Amino acid sequence: MPTKKRTLRSLDLGVFFAPPLSASHPLAIAQFRAWRLKEPVSGRRYTVVKLQSQSGAAGYGEGGPATSAEIVEARAIVAGRRATETEFVRARLAALSAMEAAVSNAMLDLVSRSKQIPIYQYLGGPTRFKARLLAQLEGSDEASIAGPLERARRLGFQAFTMPALQRDGMIPLQEYVNRMRKQVDAIRAKGGADSEWVLDGAGLMTPGDAATVATALDRTHLMWFDEPTSVLTTDGLAKFGDESVMPIGFGRKITDIGTFQNMLRNGSVNVVRPSLGLNSLAKIKRIAAIAETHYVAVAPYHSGGPIGTLAGMHINAALPNSFIQEVPVPASDRDAAMRAELTSGNKEVAEKGFAALINRPGLGVDVNERALDAHSEERI
Amino acid sequence: MRRRDILGAFAAAGVLSGASPRRTLLQDCGCAPQIRTASDKPPGGAAFRDVGSKLRITNLQVFGVTLDERIAQADRPYVFVKVETNQGVVGWGEATLEGKASAAMACVMDLKDLIIGSDPMQVEHLWQLMYVGSFYRGGPVLGSAISGIDQALWDIRGKVMNLPVYELLGGPVDPRGIRGYYHASAWSLAEARELRDQTKAAGVTALKFQLPDLLEWVETGAKLTRAVKHMEMLREGLGPDLDFAVDFHARPSPTVAAIILREIEPLHLLFAEEICPPENVRAMARAVRYSATPIATGERLIAAYGCAELIDLGVIDILQPDIAHIGGVTALWKVSAAAEASGIRMAPHACEGPIGGIASLHVDAAGPNFLAQEICGFVDGGEKAKVWEDLMGFPAMRMVDGRYPLPTRPGLGIDISEVVLKRYPFQGTRPFPTVFHEDGSVASI
Repeated sequence: MPTKKRTLRSLDLGVFFAPPLSASHPLAIAQFRAWRLKEPVSGRRYTVVKLQSQSGAAGYGEGGPATSAEIVEARAIVAGRRATETEFVRARLAALSAMEAAVSNAMLDLVSRSKQIPIYQYLGGPTRFKARLLAQLEGSDEASIAGPLERARRLGFQAFTMPALQRDGMIPLQEYVNRMRKQVDAIRAKGGADSEWVLDGAGLMTPGDAATVATALDRTHLMWFDEPTSVLTTDGLAKFGDESVMPIGFGRKITDIGTFQNMLRNGSVNVVRPSLGLNSLAKIKRIAAIAETHYVAVAPYHSGGPIGTLAGMHINAALPNSFIQEVPVPASDRDAAMRAELTSGNKEVAEKGFAALINRPGLGVDVNERALDAHSEERI
Repeated sequence: MRRRDILGAFAAAGVLSGASPRRTLLQDCGCAPQIRTASDKPPGGAAFRDVGSKLRITNLQVFGVTLDERIAQADRPYVFVKVETNQGVVGWGEATLEGKASAAMACVMDLKDLIIGSDPMQVEHLWQLMYVGSFYRGGPVLGSAISGIDQALWDIRGKVMNLPVYELLGGPVDPRGIRGYYHASAWSLAEARELRDQTKAAGVTALKFQLPDLLEWVETGAKLTRAVKHMEMLREGLGPDLDFAVDFHARPSPTVAAIILREIEPLHLLFAEEICPPENVRAMARAVRYSATPIATGERLIAAYGCAELIDLGVIDILQPDIAHIGGVTALWKVSAAAEASGIRMAPHACEGPIGGIASLHVDAAGPNFLAQEICGFVDGGEKAKVWEDLMGFPAMRMVDGRYPLPTRPGLGIDISEVVLKRYPFQGTRPFPTVFHEDGSVASI
């Protein structure tokens, strides 16, 4: 297929953005605070940003782990901008992915709160009335996953991640495949007949091993095989499509929309998995628009905190091609307690596998700043 | 009878009930259970009661608007759409489809059952309902009808949130306005120079011209030479600092287009538009590879799906979907998002009325990959500009210093005078002008 001499690539977003129109506009960002958070047992880290506008409206957003310097840089860039300017943030914070997510989502929360509508309403209105949830379970095997699975089931989840068995180089391939099958069967049995599963490869396999596993598990009807490898070369990715019909999820480390687009146009991904910690809702909406034309579903990856989870439910509600929202379910009571404190009560719960949408302004919950202070490694 | 009423009637009669004693395996296609479970889930329905707004669509009107042939091209009566709500907020959109006005108006009304009673804030869901739910996806008639309704829904969303639509799409890249271009023609060097002076005096920075002849799929040396000489004459007359584009209007084949494109490359045009018919992307690619002139196309494409192949195959530099056909604000924004990721700029087509033009400005404003906005107008706006000003109360889609000013009011930022609309009653569809080659065979205009 002949293509133009110019190669396909993302535009250089050195786009000219005019200076802020008026620093006194009611939606102009006047205050910026951030908390670097770490859960006590799992060590899970994330960043929460609070923005306040000239009118006094406030909004919260979560991104992945960020350094103090990154937070300070982001603060300087967005000062005085209107909270509607998510495109400005996407361009100017492109190199600071975690901050792009946190700041842009905080802007959406701020504007939605000031307009007295939920974020999903601001993003285009609900396309569904409940959001399917996927419990991300801690644990590496059948034994260690049992406790988290039990907790997640008590919380109403019906879909779960299970860890893929990683290959010891000394084990023959046939034996490895047999053990993988056995582990999958055993974990599924623990989940019960109504459970649905995603096999989490954690990006640790070679494309060849992952393709072998995918083919061997084709008929198990797992929902998908997630992040089987970190090798995202065209040839590496082609192995899955050539050898297996198992749906493949990718994207937890990808921050460039063009990379998602390339995978989609090459047929290398069946479930698009942009991380909520590295991509704002505004950016995920763009990724989803591209995925839609390839008939591919979106299921945002999430390994951060509860404010990120709630943001994920809002984008899930607004996208026509969303499928499920991942929710980290802590194994430890201390981690669970911290997460619940941040949002004034545990909002990461399901009913028969779905979460009801929260029809309240913004994220729809009260963020507990006292808890943010108490659990932060650093406040900026 | 509305669709959901029909479903209710079926259910009451037991037609949709799997337990009906009259059910026979030989008369069951298997759709009944799926249809039955859908009865409470339309937008605004019971299932969405707790997650949507209190707004409901109470009426949908469609207006055919025919301007005098001396004022505007007779092939395009405008098709305007008005959506009314239970809280008095109304939205306007445009579903104009050149040469198919009656069909577009009928299709808008075909969609009425899906819309009345719905929550207008569910713009994405309603878009899916109209497109996916119509079963027959795509096509310019459905695309235009969806476009009109979708624009009106965005108008309502913006008014409810008290924000211009471009703010809802991520904020303006440049609040000073949107670069645009007018249509123009010049048939001699003297005319081109005069046009240059008029254009510069008006502060306009770009124009678009047509090729001088109809073209066949292989062409005579005379016509090829005339096409190239015409473009060279325009560059000489307009000077080096005025951008201009040339619209091939899908007249030539890729074979003929390639020859012309190669020769006009040194003129550094803003873009070459619709260099060949749009259906076959791979055929278009054959012509494109011989030229560095930016290639633009897209005005006849419907929905983001319709643009995916063009984007994925890397054939073009600029996409030109039309907000009155592609599927409204929702679809134009999605195309823009996909284009941006592939380094493709946006120069949306707009050759209809002022509502679509203004709706397009909102998407343009929030797009970092935006290049220029078309409108079917000239440096001298003439009588048509006066009609538009009459309709909307301001000089709609007229540039100031080369830019269309951004609307500042909520929604699309417009009001339509229905009193003025009544002065231009619909006088039926007028077909696209037909043209023929020298031997009487059908040509593309």
